[in-house]
Amino acid sequence: MHDELVRQAQGGDAEAFDTLARMVGDRCLAIAVRILRDLDLAEDAVQSALILAWAELRALRDPSRFEPWLHRILTRACYAEARRRKRWSEGLRILPAAGAYGPDDYLTVDDRDLLERAFRRLTVQQRAVLVFHHYLGLSIPEAAERIGIPVGTAKSRLHHAIRALRASVDADARGTASQERLA
Amino acid sequence: MTAPRDPDRLIGAFLSEGEERLDDQVYDAVRARIEQTRQRAVLGPWRTPTMNKIATFGFAAAAVVIAVFLGAQLLGSPSRFGGPGPVPTTSPEISDTRSPSPTPAAVLPEGLFALTDGRALDGMPTLSTTVTVPAPGWYGEPGGAILVKNDNSAAPDGAGMIAFFGELYVYADPCQWATTRPDLPVSTVDELMEALAAQASRDASEPVDITLDGHTGQSVILHVPDDAVFTECDQGTFGSWGVPGADRSPFRYHQDPGQIDEVWAVDVDGVLTVIDVAYYDGTPQAVRDEMRAIVESVTFE
Repeated sequence: MHDELVRQAQGGDAEAFDTLARMVGDRCLAIAVRILRDLDLAEDAVQSALILAWAELRALRDPSRFEPWLHRILTRACYAEARRRKRWSEGLRILPAAGAYGPDDYLTVDDRDLLERAFRRLTVQQRAVLVFHHYLGLSIPEAAERIGIPVGTAKSRLHHAIRALRASVDADARGTASQERLA
Repeated sequence: MTAPRDPDRLIGAFLSEGEERLDDQVYDAVRARIEQTRQRAVLGPWRTPTMNKIATFGFAAAAVVIAVFLGAQLLGSPSRFGGPGPVPTTSPEISDTRSPSPTPAAVLPEGLFALTDGRALDGMPTLSTTVTVPAPGWYGEPGGAILVKNDNSAAPDGAGMIAFFGELYVYADPCQWATTRPDLPVSTVDELMEALAAQASRDASEPVDITLDGHTGQSVILHVPDDAVFTECDQGTFGSWGVPGADRSPFRYHQDPGQIDEVWAVDVDGVLTVIDVAYYDGTPQAVRDEMRAIVESVTFE
């Protein structure tokens, strides 16, 4: 279904591209919002990525690879948004906890706040690997290919990101245990 | 007492949350923009199904410009096509590049290969050049001016090469190319090296003297910054140079951040001839060696 639309869009059919965009846009937003941790920035990144994809579409040789190809463009657009806005150390708008699937019961409000702060301390490149690996469920080599980085780089970024997040969670757990012992 | 929390599960749960629906206004904005945005052209022959293998090397239209009769007239110089005589005003040999080539791009056998064959590419003539393909896995269309290893020109380990002939408009800033295209093209090795050395963000090496098939010139190594963000560049493109003609967009545009270019430039009977070898840090050394062997095997007719 995608393939024919891609071919039509490669021929300059804007209607076909619009249909394609609506088929893949939600997933693009889900990726971008998890990388950027800001809905407005994520929407801007998706918009930029889709426009660039249209301009470059004729260079895509395998229509069946449209979505992975688009995700690579999207990742770069996320990097660009992150750099352009330079709002990482400022008070970003906290994402609404309830997404399409609603909040996960495993997470408490404190967990969410803790992880949000820890996640923002990661580089945008580290977040991208985390999202493609943990959220989309891609293997590390698949995530590396999707982002356009060497596998070793992806492994390194993932390792550091996970270690940082775990450290935050563990530190919080130790603090909680200490408080319980004191109580 | 509080049960221990599983950090991995917490991270997974955290990532599972968040918005997952793109607002209709974004789709509408995209639609409005694409109606006004032209798609990048890819040369006709490479767009036929059997030739798509090399299209994504992404060198926009292949690139080939011979020098240039109009340029020669403007400069008041004699024809640079060898020998004295009147400067022609048009090329008698221009062929229709929009029709499919009879020879599809494919993985090439080892041995002699016609990198360019004198027929026009994108409406402009070329010199005839041959190279020797030293190993399996190279893709190319005979006469198409491009070779790509393993059909992969992308980061982190792709490799490919392309030939240009004639005049080039070297942008002062490859990211802001739309506003930094010079008024005049370069048409000599020295001019090209000077322009590339001055190009923003490329970290150009010192040029070194080279000889290809008896023709002297220079080579230089350029880099696309690792942290380059193409989406921040004009039309989302990071481009080194353009060619004469109405289309001012880059004809040598880059595939990914971190791309390394070895630009080999020689003077072939007055015609600036450029072979751009492109790879990445992750490109195997053996492939880089193959590329250099290909360049050094070039012959000009």
